Amino acid sequence: MTKELTYLKYLKQDRLPHQWCPGCGNGIVLKLACLAMEKLNFPKKGTVMVSGIGCSGRSAGFFDLDSVHTAHGRALPVAEGIKLANEELNVMVISGDGDLFGIGGNHLLHASRRNTDITVICISNAIYGMTGGQCSPTTEISSKTLTTPRGNVDTPVNVQALITGHNCFYARSTTFHFNHAMKCIFEALQHKGFSFVEIKSQCITNDGRRRGFKNSYEMLMSYKENYKINNNTNALEHNEIGIIK
Amino acid sequence: MTKRLLQGNQAIALAAVKAGLNFFAGYPITPASEILHELVNQETIKVLQMEDEIASINAILGASLAGAKSMTATSGPGFSLMQESIGHAHMMEVPLVIVNVQRVGPSTGMPTFPAQGDILQCKYGSHGDYFPIVFYPNSVAELYEFTFNAFNAAEESLSPVILLSDGYVGHLYETIEEVDYPISERTLAPLGTSNRHFTGLTHEDSMPVTSDPEVHRKLIKHLEAKQKKVSRKYNNYEYIENKSSDILLITYGALSRAAYDLKEDFAIYRPVRMFPIVEKIKEIAKKYKEIVVMEMNAGQYANEVERLLHREVKLISIMGGKIDLNEIWTKLRRIKKGK
Ligand SMILES: Cc1ncc(C[n+]2csc(CCOP(=O)(O)OP(=O)(O)O)c2C)c(N)n1
Ligand code: SF4
Ligand SMILES: [Mg+2]
Repeated sequence: MTKELTYLKYLKQDRLPHQWCPGCGNGIVLKLACLAMEKLNFPKKGTVMVSGIGCSGRSAGFFDLDSVHTAHGRALPVAEGIKLANEELNVMVISGDGDLFGIGGNHLLHASRRNTDITVICISNAIYGMTGGQCSPTTEISSKTLTTPRGNVDTPVNVQALITGHNCFYARSTTFHFNHAMKCIFEALQHKGFSFVEIKSQCITNDGRRRGFKNSYEMLMSYKENYKINNNTNALEHNEIGIIK
Repeated sequence: MTKRLLQGNQAIALAAVKAGLNFFAGYPITPASEILHELVNQETIKVLQMEDEIASINAILGASLAGAKSMTATSGPGFSLMQESIGHAHMMEVPLVIVNVQRVGPSTGMPTFPAQGDILQCKYGSHGDYFPIVFYPNSVAELYEFTFNAFNAAEESLSPVILLSDGYVGHLYETIEEVDYPISERTLAPLGTSNRHFTGLTHEDSMPVTSDPEVHRKLIKHLEAKQKKVSRKYNNYEYIENKSSDILLITYGALSRAAYDLKEDFAIYRPVRMFPIVEKIKEIAKKYKEIVVMEMNAGQYANEVERLLHREVKLISIMGGKIDLNEIWTKLRRIKKGK
């Protein structure tokens, strides 16, 4: 007997399969969000999903919830407006690294400072996926992208420092570490105040392939090799994943 | 009814509260800040000072979708920053009120001096085609009244309505009656009650459809028809007929107050609903040989009027924030002699 996929109730199944590339990490994050919501028994009425613009920005539209697809970078102020207008609502954001740290970076600085009670999940693929693979604020140093053909020279944004600097919930995980990522979202959703989950995710089409990965499986294996879980720290190292409350 | 001495900006804030305002987000800017200052003292209203005007308009957009009647207030520089999200609000059909107390631009310009340089930006400032409802009162009492109209039109049209003012009218003190004008209630169900998707992408039944021109055409047609229909409820203008004059002087906002002194010599038409342009002007204009638009910009409304009337329109442009009757007279005399 196959197990019934009850978490699918949070998705608009008539919109599936989604239009993301085969092997894209975005679908994994959708599933993680659904599972965490199911575990917490989130009511569909009373929960609102918000996304910005990008491949990841399409996330909100797949949920069988009231959802808002904001302008590029503006998911946070929209989500804050929703939450502050009706504190009863569970307000979640799923958006991209370019959206949340680049064009919307100033809002992240201030939403965390205001400690608005929303949960933000960043699909952090270190690239501008939707627009063809340009360098993003989380692209690693020396990484080759469409706009850094000789390798990126700029330091990636220190999201952990920004969020924990305001004493907010910060968690980092990867699409490979499925159960760990799920735990991060589960705890973030229960946190009162601003919570931020950064999930390292693969974009095979506009990033991995340019950096010599043959497929997204290889990218997932690189997360397995490169990231170690650390449950006992208040500052994650570059190669660590974990939760800082 | 109570009579009260109020500043223009203060009148907007107090009228907004009476018109049902629940949520305000803004960023300080001269000459609009008094609206924010007034509202922070209202205990029933949620007021946020945001990090910039982009955050402000997006916060009220979210709040409005969540069920709160919402407003922001700014001046030119902030209004420029809001443009992308104004188009977004039209596309998602979100009721909002956006107040723009104009100052001299472009850029930082003359922060404390009045201007009317944002007229076309109201209509064309965001990319793509949209059909905003724009009001521009010229007195404290009218600012008070049209704040109600702006909220009502926003609810009825499900769109962001622009309430224009300027540094002169915004800072003017006048005694007004605090009338309780009728209020249009919210019809849009708040977030958290359904499974709708609000998106700026071209959409049908709240789902993105990004490669079907027919869907896009239908959507834009729907937006245009809706705005036209609602705006018909607000055919607001002032017309002072003058049978002995063959010149019709069109003027609005701060500058129109100076024009009242000219009513013995000219017919005067003052639009209050700036956009969509009140069609009545076509009929009125027929009675006059010469049409003159006088405004505090380089001819923004004059071009719109000329296009609508299909005839030559003369321009008196009063720039730099100074309203001087002598200058106006000199320019008008030149036009009078010219014919
Ligand atoms: C104001 C504005 N500028 C630029 C764009 C073009 N644009 C769309 S998505 C995107 C990048 C998105 O990157 P990210 O948030 O990392 O999402 P991903 O596609 O990687 O999931 C850009 C620059 C836009 N839509 N709006
Ligand atoms: S381009 Fe990259 S991020 Fe976008 S759907 Fe494809 S794999 Fe995913
Ligand atoms: Mg990205």
